[in-house]
Amino acid sequence: MLFVRPGRLADLDALQQMARTAQPVLHSLPHDRHALEARLALSEDSFRAQADFPGEEFYLFVLEDSATGKLLGTASIVAAAGYSEPFYVFRNDALIHASRELHVNRKIHALTMSHELTGKSRLAGFYIEPGLRGDAAAHLLSRARMMYIAANRKRFTSEIFSLLLGVTDEAGVSPFWEAVGRKFFGRNFADIEVQSGGRSNTFIAEVMPSYPIYVPLLPEAAQRVLGEPDEHALLAYEIHLDEGFETDRYVDIFDAGPVLTAQVERIASVRCNETRTVQTAGELLEAVTPPGAVGASGGATYMVANNSRGDFRCVLAELPVGRTAGLTAELAAGLGVGPTERPAARPAAGLAAGSSTPPPADSRAALPLDLQAELLAARIAFAPLDAATRAALDVREGDTVRCVVLHPDSGPLSAEDAS
Amino acid sequence: MIVVRVVQTGDVDALVALAQETGPGLTSFKPDRAALAARIGRTCRTLEDRAAPHEQGYFFVMEDTGSGDIAGVCGIETAVGLDQPFYNYRVSTVVHASQQLGIWTLMRALNISHDLTGYAEVCSLFLSPRYRTHGVGGLLSRSRFLFIAQFRERFPQRICAEMRGHFDAEGTSPFWRAVGSHFYQIDFNAADYLSSHGRKSFLAELMPRFPVYVELLPEQAQECVGLTHADTLPARKMLEAEGLRYENHVDIFDAGPVLECHIADLRTVRESVVVPLEIVAPDARRDDARDVPRSLVSNTSLDDFRCGAVAGRVEQGVFRLSADEAAALRVKAGDPVRVMTPKHKQGTS
Repeated sequence: MLFVRPGRLADLDALQQMARTAQPVLHSLPHDRHALEARLALSEDSFRAQADFPGEEFYLFVLEDSATGKLLGTASIVAAAGYSEPFYVFRNDALIHASRELHVNRKIHALTMSHELTGKSRLAGFYIEPGLRGDAAAHLLSRARMMYIAANRKRFTSEIFSLLLGVTDEAGVSPFWEAVGRKFFGRNFADIEVQSGGRSNTFIAEVMPSYPIYVPLLPEAAQRVLGEPDEHALLAYEIHLDEGFETDRYVDIFDAGPVLTAQVERIASVRCNETRTVQTAGELLEAVTPPGAVGASGGATYMVANNSRGDFRCVLAELPVGRTAGLTAELAAGLGVGPTERPAARPAAGLAAGSSTPPPADSRAALPLDLQAELLAARIAFAPLDAATRAALDVREGDTVRCVVLHPDSGPLSAEDAS
Repeated sequence: MIVVRVVQTGDVDALVALAQETGPGLTSFKPDRAALAARIGRTCRTLEDRAAPHEQGYFFVMEDTGSGDIAGVCGIETAVGLDQPFYNYRVSTVVHASQQLGIWTLMRALNISHDLTGYAEVCSLFLSPRYRTHGVGGLLSRSRFLFIAQFRERFPQRICAEMRGHFDAEGTSPFWRAVGSHFYQIDFNAADYLSSHGRKSFLAELMPRFPVYVELLPEQAQECVGLTHADTLPARKMLEAEGLRYENHVDIFDAGPVLECHIADLRTVRESVVVPLEIVAPDARRDDARDVPRSLVSNTSLDDFRCGAVAGRVEQGVFRLSADEAAALRVKAGDPVRVMTPKHKQGTS
């Protein structure tokens, strides 16, 4: 089973391998072993720290296969981008040039160097094994960071952003760089990238344009790639869009790659975040869903993250959709409904595949309506999880977990909508 | 004899006819009777000291005194930009350098400027193709400097001249295509026409408010910055010989250069002299005409200023003209004349 967890110093070898093989270059994963080790150490400290506001923290996550122990990807969060130095982006402004006399009214875009994103939390360093790119695991790895943010709001700013790779051709030439950066730097894009070692050094200020750049005056090839992700970044781009990030406000100063921004409280992983109680799959005696709830009868893939006990963990699991109340033996006893009095029991629909024992043939009848109502009123939502998932999440029965449906289109829009 | 003189009210018909000969390039001299009459009126008021500072200007015509044919015009504005703003781009230098990276890059940026506000301007020069022979264009253009030298107190400290910018083989301006067209959204000629007819508010409304980096423009457009139209090169050479220089101001539409200098530094202002006139028989002066330079000679009258080019130089403190030449310049023996003799033999101009 694949799960996301914080990176550890023990992961150094595997991460160094990723940093070396990643194509194109990962800006937030240094090639240098010592630098990488320092990042991992910072990450370990950051996860441990009692942070009440974003500072120098850096959080590095890895995707691990629990069966093999192999690392298959990494993703990180910078708590405050440009913590000690300004973080540069081009703000994409619209200027209206209008003349009543000539009946001319035109919106002209101009790119202005901006420090507005300095200090905001930034998603960075997303890399997944090429073989998993088309897989739900890519979504899990990227969005697990949002699950972490949702559970640790104080550690991050209320607006977060992600800067993705802009378009380059097969030879690594960026049309935007050729039209803008090269004129200022007089060098190849790749040379500058290596030298800048993470894109945030102050040297940029010394060399980059201080006046706004009028977009219509740039060559068409440069205009075309403005805010467009490179094909290597398309997956990350789409995952961010699914999550509710917005485009078009900023672009990267080097290759005009998209800078996506989002208010944390508006992103799907926060809006749709439900807390559920872990239940051993198959032990659920009965599932009760509110009448008319969207998709109430089916299951869906959820991101499930553990909640504040031990290391952060996040996995994908099939769970019943919506606020489904369930009847456990314990609860049934608490409600004074003994097993013998219960007319029938059947497992909840949509349990994780293969995890439930087949229901007895005589357990098809529904619970009495008053009992259903009572269960719903108790508003206890359960996350039936199999043993492997519980192990990956490091949770036990009765613990709470955070659950977010992976593809919002296939489930309720938000937790409130479904309650 | 061909003389350049201050325009008169009766010239309007001849000017309308002459203006028919201009192409689309010269927007300030169109066959527009009302506009031409207004310009004559403005010159008259200026000469009579009845014009406000912002409307002061002089318009000159070139006349063939033998036939009475009006064959050219030129003008001087006393102080530009005092009414409607006078826009140019100032080409500034921006250095982007990083010691850490060993980078040193020099960029040019175009900044909208009103730097030339209050400058005098030589403008509106047009010579009929029928008269484009040796020296005539030079006379027409340089006569203005003789006028300025004579009436120095009527002009400010500095002077400028806008040169037509570069146009490609298709007759369009690469600079306009790369810059102006995006902001103004009208045809180059339409923009130029509105601008030269005092309807400049659209400029302020539509022009780029931030500096424009030259090096980010297409190469063709970059090359236009400060480049003079091929047809205007002789005029530029002549003005440069007079002491005007390109000082990093260019036109906002076609990026043609603006030449400028201090009026005190104009060659004609520095070197022309006023001497008494002596009338001689034509033969007496022309015997060795091949060896004498052609000098510019004018009278010293404000309202009947006349200037011509004749072979000769100041000798023994006087300048000699034939009786016919003196008549064409409306001067008598003993009258003061202003003379500008080139130090070196003039080339093509």
